[in-house]
Amino acid sequence: MDRSKETVSTLGRMPSTRRHWSRAALFTGVGLLLAGCANNAPQDIFEPKGENAKKIDTLQRPVFYIAGIVALIVIGIVGYAMWKFRDRGQDIPEQSHGNPKLEIALTILPAIILAAISVPTVISVFELDKKTDTECIINVTGQQWWWEYDYATGQCGDVKIDKPIVTAGELVIPEKTNVLLRITSRDVIHSYWIPALNGKRDAVPGRLHTLRMQADQPGIYTGQCTEFCGLSHARMRQAAVALTTSDFQQWVDNQLKEYVAPEAGSLAAEGEAVFTANCSKCHQVNDLKNADGSPVLSDPDLYVVSGVAPNLSHLMNRTAFAGWTFDLLTEECRTALWTAKPADFGAMYLKGVTPECFNEVALRDWLRNPPAMKPMFVDPNNLSSTGGKYRGMPNLNLKPDQIDQLIAYLLGRN
Amino acid sequence: MAIIERPAAVPATVDAVAAPEVVTPTQALGAFRRPVSSTGWKSWLFTVDHKKLGIMYGAVSLFFFLVGGIEALLIRLQLAAPDNTVLSADQYNQMFTMHATTMVFLFVMPMAAAFANYFLPLQIGARDVAFPRINALGFWLFLFGGLFLNSSWLLGGAADGGWFMYSPNSSALFSPSHGIDFWVLGLQITGIASLIGALNLIVTVLNMRAPGMKLMQMPVFTWMVLVVQFLLLFAMPVITVALFLLSFQRNFGATFFDVNQGADPLLWQHLFWIFGHPEVYIIILPSFGIISEVLPTFARKPLFGYKFVVFSGAAIGFVGWGVWAHHMFASGLGPVSVAVFSVATMLIAIPTGVKIVNWTLTLWGGKLWFTTAMLFAIGVIVLFTIGGVSGVTHAVAPSDTQQTDTYHIVAHFHYVIVGGAVMGLFAGFYFWWPKMFGKMLNERLGKWNFWLMFFGVNLTFGPMHILGLQGQPRRMVVWPEKLTGDGFFDMHFWNQIASVGSFVIGLGVLIFVINIFWTWKKAPIAPLDPWDARTLEWITASPPKEHNFDRIPTVHALDEFFHRKYEEVDTADGPRLVKVKSAEEILAEEESHADAHIHLPSPSYWPIVLAAALPIIAYGVIYNLMLSVVGTAVLLLAVFGWCLEPSVADDSDYDPPAGGDSTKELATLG
Repeated sequence: MDRSKETVSTLGRMPSTRRHWSRAALFTGVGLLLAGCANNAPQDIFEPKGENAKKIDTLQRPVFYIAGIVALIVIGIVGYAMWKFRDRGQDIPEQSHGNPKLEIALTILPAIILAAISVPTVISVFELDKKTDTECIINVTGQQWWWEYDYATGQCGDVKIDKPIVTAGELVIPEKTNVLLRITSRDVIHSYWIPALNGKRDAVPGRLHTLRMQADQPGIYTGQCTEFCGLSHARMRQAAVALTTSDFQQWVDNQLKEYVAPEAGSLAAEGEAVFTANCSKCHQVNDLKNADGSPVLSDPDLYVVSGVAPNLSHLMNRTAFAGWTFDLLTEECRTALWTAKPADFGAMYLKGVTPECFNEVALRDWLRNPPAMKPMFVDPNNLSSTGGKYRGMPNLNLKPDQIDQLIAYLLGRN
Repeated sequence: MAIIERPAAVPATVDAVAAPEVVTPTQALGAFRRPVSSTGWKSWLFTVDHKKLGIMYGAVSLFFFLVGGIEALLIRLQLAAPDNTVLSADQYNQMFTMHATTMVFLFVMPMAAAFANYFLPLQIGARDVAFPRINALGFWLFLFGGLFLNSSWLLGGAADGGWFMYSPNSSALFSPSHGIDFWVLGLQITGIASLIGALNLIVTVLNMRAPGMKLMQMPVFTWMVLVVQFLLLFAMPVITVALFLLSFQRNFGATFFDVNQGADPLLWQHLFWIFGHPEVYIIILPSFGIISEVLPTFARKPLFGYKFVVFSGAAIGFVGWGVWAHHMFASGLGPVSVAVFSVATMLIAIPTGVKIVNWTLTLWGGKLWFTTAMLFAIGVIVLFTIGGVSGVTHAVAPSDTQQTDTYHIVAHFHYVIVGGAVMGLFAGFYFWWPKMFGKMLNERLGKWNFWLMFFGVNLTFGPMHILGLQGQPRRMVVWPEKLTGDGFFDMHFWNQIASVGSFVIGLGVLIFVINIFWTWKKAPIAPLDPWDARTLEWITASPPKEHNFDRIPTVHALDEFFHRKYEEVDTADGPRLVKVKSAEEILAEEESHADAHIHLPSPSYWPIVLAAALPIIAYGVIYNLMLSVVGTAVLLLAVFGWCLEPSVADDSDYDPPAGGDSTKELATLG
């Protein structure tokens, strides 16, 4: 599963289905022999990018080799026996019932192999559960179908966080820092998984589970919810973004900066009104004020089962939305960010979604009819089991000009 | 040092007595008399004959196999391309839930029950099972439970919570359709079938073995079935309790899994997997038993290390209870539990490995005859080995946290279940078909069937290892283009290979179905002993007479039938095995010494009526409790009818046994 950087499909990344089928038919046999793997698959578990995932990787590689060798030996012996002892008219063999010494030997042999594997396994289990070296704590909460991150005030690595930060979809962490996630759920069981940084940990309502996270270098590491959580389980994704300490400081500062109201009379200002009237019932934008100067406080408890909706204060500092499913960046800009060198990554990421990189189509489609893009439990005629509350975002039946205004407003939420 | 078993000296046979007197009940009047038909459709509806029930179990399981297979093909069609739209998210969730449920509960388990029902009494030289009416009840409960479960497709959608139905996603709040209610109640009904079947077969094995057959002379298939029945006996109550909790939560407002009321959702996971892990061995051990019959037959030598195979089977049965939490390594159990279950899981690989070693060494030094059954059995060794070693990679708990809920796990358990259990069942079809129907399945079609399935399994589930390791999680209605990676062998490619492979398996199964019809219509009568087999079921006619054996055979050795056919003769080159008797001669001898009085249990109306009452009650739980009252009335009627009907039909030649403790007496009470 090694990445070989030079092997990039010359045919581009969006091949036609038909060509794939013909390729599949042609190369099935060869392909199986080579057992080749995709290069640069973002969730490849053999591509660890942090201490914890590397610990798992060092443990699992020899196990895979041993397993593969054992399988080959067994299959080889079976194949040899099939050829060697095929019926060639020989006598019916002696009716031998076995050989206890051989049996015992062949029972002890796998026992020794497994004992050898079990020692590092047990050691790793405890190492991966360690909580004493934590340098930063982030609360992670799953709900149908997105993740919320809640940074408590205090020290996070070398950066001090003065006020709580609430964000969604992308977990932003300082590099080379032992982060401890405290994971729970507000509705059903979810599972938090960033393959490049660590294994999975279930988010169980009523329970608090911890998961160590550490990234060796800046970059974006994708993952998704891996415990089946209902209708849109496939569209509950997430990513971890690692930044250098100074970049992380910038990110924190940006999260905590003052609310900038759009210029009066602009399209965005009209968008602010639309947002306050419609979206703010569930979605919070920090420090947003009503016309009378009172704070606009969302009250998602009244409308959604999980009781929360993503905080949109800094939506355009994230690269995807709606359970980190749909890109806010155009494909070109996303690819550039995903493949950026660690040294360049932080600056690119902190720019956020600039107008030239903004994937307006996806957000526009979403505002027009969210459940059409991501199946959610929002049919107003079928909410009796939840007492009228939604699971997910309903269609708000926004008019085209309202959508224009909202997009102008949201583009300023950076 | 080799152990060579030679049969004990055959005791002088009892003098010949009169020709067999088969029970031919003639007359029955009134509802509380017993039915008498031994031909026609009534003979199937009211039968208590373990062979007819076995065939019905098999036919219904095959039907559900095709249903589950079509669900699988739809899943693979949906996943053949990124962001595909063959199925909606809701349909997809129902599809994978029902695919797993159908394959596990309505195909593999009952198909194993089919073989167990048909062959276990024959292999131990019994005329029927201990409780024949309960046996019939078990079949009808399975059939009605399965139909009830699948009726949800037409009544607002099937269950959509995944086959392990984790709470709280399975609560009415998060799954408001009736699908999960159907699932819970349907499994409750089929669960009764498994539980009473287990009791029945345990009693049968322990009490009704032919004279001379010690436990350690039982065929391995019988042994493995016995272990499975004990697993069922202890596992089914656990899932029954769990299902009741869920049922009461969904239908009657209980709060067992309601976090807001202080419940811990992990309770469900523990209950489910304490059942669910032994269930894995419930699924796989019957197939281990089948191939432990097939391999020696076609290697022409006894199973290597019979005792090791039996004891490792029993060991798996015990250790299988101590590993359930390896399904929960990511659930947040804490490091101590995880470490303990991780090591226990590695431990269970040892007895499993013992079996693979013994099968391989059974081939070693043999005289191999590659029939279709043999190919399927060898296929099991190969595919199960792959599934087994990938299982060891999951046993390492930290790596399992990377692998669990990805396609790597899907690959692993399909190698085990399809490669191990299903291929083993197919070995059983080809091996035992001539015994069950007196006709051979076509070997040519059989070879096609085998090779298509063998390659199909590898094409479908092989790439899933790669897909999972590259980060494709399971239970995803779509996988996005942007996660597929670059290069020729991207995840797109492997998903397509897997989809193609699934249709190759489908083609193999289709050929099997064609083979069944061809055999039914065209195949010539099979020879009495087509495989030169080894165990008791081949000592009688094909298909066996209603009473199985004219004379209950007396057993002197493991592989009794083989030792009646072959004797060691000293020659100039040392001892040689020589065939001294043909199967026909042995059968003729048995027939000429038929038992004077043969008692068979009489058919009964009540098992099917009793079974039919349960879905009525279940529909009532979902729609209207008055319907449950009606169902309960039917149930009570059936129970009274069951108790009050005469123990035999009129005019049968029933002679009460003097001591009251013989196997005949047991059969009557069933």
